[in-house]
Amino acid sequence: MTVVLFRVDERLIHGQVVVGWGRRLEAGRLVVVSDALAAAASEQEIYRTGLPKGIEADFWSEELAAARLPELMDSDARILVLTSDLATMWRLAVAGVPIHEVNVGGLHAASGRESVLPYVYLDPDDRQRVRDFEAAGVRVTAQDVPGAARVRLERVL
Amino acid sequence: MTERCGAIVAHGGLAEGFLSALSRVAGPQENLWALSNEALSGEALTARLEELLDERAAGREVFLFADLDAGSCGLACRRLLEEGRVKAVFFGINLPVLIEFVFLQEQPLDRIIPLMLSKSRAALGVRP
Repeated sequence: MTVVLFRVDERLIHGQVVVGWGRRLEAGRLVVVSDALAAAASEQEIYRTGLPKGIEADFWSEELAAARLPELMDSDARILVLTSDLATMWRLAVAGVPIHEVNVGGLHAASGRESVLPYVYLDPDDRQRVRDFEAAGVRVTAQDVPGAARVRLERVL
Repeated sequence: MTERCGAIVAHGGLAEGFLSALSRVAGPQENLWALSNEALSGEALTARLEELLDERAAGREVFLFADLDAGSCGLACRRLLEEGRVKAVFFGINLPVLIEFVFLQEQPLDRIIPLMLSKSRAALGVRP
């Protein structure tokens, strides 16, 4: 497997991911890492229903993802890994998933968050996660769609 | 017959654009509304759509129109379909499907949906 993108995006599977990144990177499989969604079959079906042919989606718990992603690194599929927040992606990295770069998409306005980009709002914990990733040698960049400006988040915190 | 209404849910300014274009060819639309997903999380978009229907669609048959089935707009629409709050969700929409929605209002529910679909599909083509 080639993980073509590790993306943090609150909307998880949506247009920017399926059309923008999915088509550009020729991803055939989306792996959503979420304990809540992994246990919600009906919710998974709502996400899967809209997927175009040629793209599959899996919904894995953090535990399953931490176990399976490293062992799948040599298969042929092109995979896009999605989490809805930085904390989940950080836990995957700590658990041993070989993440070399994190792409941040939409993290929208919410209580306690401040805007760093029009489509990225972070709270203090998110800021710390960005610093943690960078300290571990993992670049964290914000880019909502291919072709848009790619911003190193550490520089706009 | 129960009165119908609808909402167009789309990326960027597309929903407003569709509504604007529709008003140019079919006149002002009081029963069709536009909603953008701009800067909204998936939950917030669904909540906004629910609020819109709470405010304006009580007692009416609701049709939703999404641009992309695979996008957050399609997802929000499917959630309301799951909840039983809407009669149908059209996705991959074009202007012709909205025109048919306006002009086929007198058709019963089991007729209007296949008619809208067939006419909007037939309206997409290429020359030569």
